[in-house]
Amino acid sequence: MIKTVDHAGAEGLVHIENLVKRYGSFVALDHLNLDVKEGEIFGLLGPNGSGKTTAINCMLALLKYDKGMIRIFGQEMAPDNYQVKKDMGIVLQNVAVFDELTVYENIDYFCGLYVKNKIRRKELVDEAIRFVGLEEHRKMRPRKLSGGLLRRLNIACGIAHRPKLIFMDEPTVAVDPQSRNRILEGIMELNRQGSTIIYTSHYMEEVEQICTRIAIMDHGRCIASGTKEQLTGMIKTGEKITIEGVALDEEQLRKIRGLPHVFQADYENGILRLQCTEAKHNLVRVLHCLEEQEIHFGRVFSEQPTLNDVFLHITGTQLRD
Amino acid sequence: MTVFRGYIKVIKSNRLMICFYLAIFFAFSILFQTTAKSADTEMYQMRGVRIGVINNDDGALAEALVRYLSGIHQITELDDEISVLQEKLYYRAADYIVRIPEDFYEKCISEGKELEVTMIPGSYTGIYVDQQINSFLNNAAVYQKAGFTEEETADAMKNRENVRVELADDKSVAGDNKDYIYYFRYMPYLYLAVFGFVLGDILWSFQKKELNRRMMASPVPLRRQKLEGMLCMSLFGVGIWVLLILGAAVCYGKSWTGSANVGYYILNTLALLFCTLSVAFLAGTISPNRDALTGIVNILSLGMCFLGGTFVSLDVMSGSIKKISQFLPVYWYEKANDILTDFSVMTETARNQVFQAVGIQIVFGAAFFCLAVTAARYKQTEG
Ligand SMILES: Nc1ncnc2c1ncn2[C@@H]1O[C@H](COP(=O)(O)OP(=O)(O)O)[C@@H](O)[C@H]1O
Ligand SMILES: [Mg+2]
Repeated sequence: MIKTVDHAGAEGLVHIENLVKRYGSFVALDHLNLDVKEGEIFGLLGPNGSGKTTAINCMLALLKYDKGMIRIFGQEMAPDNYQVKKDMGIVLQNVAVFDELTVYENIDYFCGLYVKNKIRRKELVDEAIRFVGLEEHRKMRPRKLSGGLLRRLNIACGIAHRPKLIFMDEPTVAVDPQSRNRILEGIMELNRQGSTIIYTSHYMEEVEQICTRIAIMDHGRCIASGTKEQLTGMIKTGEKITIEGVALDEEQLRKIRGLPHVFQADYENGILRLQCTEAKHNLVRVLHCLEEQEIHFGRVFSEQPTLNDVFLHITGTQLRD
Repeated sequence: MTVFRGYIKVIKSNRLMICFYLAIFFAFSILFQTTAKSADTEMYQMRGVRIGVINNDDGALAEALVRYLSGIHQITELDDEISVLQEKLYYRAADYIVRIPEDFYEKCISEGKELEVTMIPGSYTGIYVDQQINSFLNNAAVYQKAGFTEEETADAMKNRENVRVELADDKSVAGDNKDYIYYFRYMPYLYLAVFGFVLGDILWSFQKKELNRRMMASPVPLRRQKLEGMLCMSLFGVGIWVLLILGAAVCYGKSWTGSANVGYYILNTLALLFCTLSVAFLAGTISPNRDALTGIVNILSLGMCFLGGTFVSLDVMSGSIKKISQFLPVYWYEKANDILTDFSVMTETARNQVFQAVGIQIVFGAAFFCLAVTAARYKQTEG
């Protein structure tokens, strides 16, 4: 088991210690520890059923837990801690809006739970509508919106009051690629405007793309956390190189295997697959070696390790759904 | 008041459905009114049951009962001798025999003893006569409780009979009768159905799981959200109530607004309103989904109205059913309503009985309300 990195420094905006949540005898959260710093987009990455939603619900004080402690903004989180709730925004996994109200009315309603001033609220709602790009749908009922637009409305309802801390639970599930990109960009924009974001997903690519720090979850535990680089640095694989259309004899293959930083080389059907440890110029070194021996080659691919490799390495299973 | 405004908006956007329900249940009420009225009328018009009467009492009330029965049926006075009676029944010279005991007023009215009757086994017509006699005795008992003497009760019963007969005969004069008694009698059904469906539906909008989470994670305390919601729904209820009261005033004009009991009618319907709002609130809270809600509302509204004396008049209900019915608020509403129908001018006792019935409805309402609040709390901590 790889232990997590960087717990030095002061306590973050959200601080979770030894959180345990059981559903009957099933342990959904198993001594979970997290610390989210101000200004981060903190990713909770894990396969379905790993406990992400459960963790979010505990943080929101929507769910009672069995053990542990949750502090937000330095205060103990509780159902009646309205001071803390004031500065939080939530976007949950399933769309939560009123079918009876229009896009504008929906956002206005949820914003109104936080902002009493009418004029200020109108500004905020207009801004939120612009932000998610629903200007042309202001007067529409949710039933008439496509899945992607509905998700955007869902987000607008959660963030219109400009919270300091935003919880987003899989906001891009079942969303078309265009809406997804728009949502991801929106999240980064919110972050630039000063919101700290806790983002859960089971899509590795998304988390890699937007999160500044990531905790990988499995079976209710945090199995690794850190920046993407820190996480991928934890495992032996640095770079995966694939070279097609090469003809090699035993001697040549032995030479390649002997190159520094190459820890595995497989050759089959004219395709050479190499795994290198983290180092500079791995690809150059390999190609140089081929050139020296006047070996011809076709296409070359080089891949950086992904969080999937990290997950695979730690758990022995794939992250993919 | 964000939540309050939210409820208003949801109610507004449901206005078509609300109008639809109102129209449907108005139509239903009117339909039931007319069928009930004609059924009542038929009862008075039914003749031809041959009743043998043994009158061992010479009091005024016994005489009134015989008179009452002879107004409807063919009466033969008989001697109190078993062989004669058996013969009569055997040869179908009588379908039904009533034995009025000595001290009829004391025994059957004051002490509530049952009147001894004999009928051909399984006789269908006999049941009608049973109902009529029961109705007579029940009504006489009300007067007796109200402090009337035997003679006064007998007089009152004679007058009643005249009113009823007129009512049955005189269908053409619409303005000047007491048709509004049916309007008020069917009000519980309208209330239960409309509030059950509409308020339940609206409650549901606010209780969808994810939406509820969003609301619970907000800085508006849960209790406050609930209070604002209830306030809005109560206002809506009062709105419908006003509409119905205005409806009565418009439909029945002076015959209702000018009657001495208007105030009591208003009091009784308000108590019913409170009670039904609580029931609706409870139904909306405990039902796990919209379909279940429809089922629960149907069972509640139809069940309560059948047992509580809305569809079937309390007069003709058997004692054992009435015992069960007493646990339904609708029963008490209808009871108060019946008293209001029977007493054009209130006596002290009658007034107390109305107040008692109203009080019981309010207690029922409070109980349902507490149940609903408890259920809501349980629902929240569950997940
Ligand atoms: N109300 C519940 N009762 C019982 N088990 C639950 C309940 N909610 C979630 N679980 C279980 O807890 C685990 C974690 O669920 P969840 O937090 O929703 O995972 P994720 O959001 O990562 O997909 C799952 O195995 C799920 O089946
Ligand atoms: Mg989830």
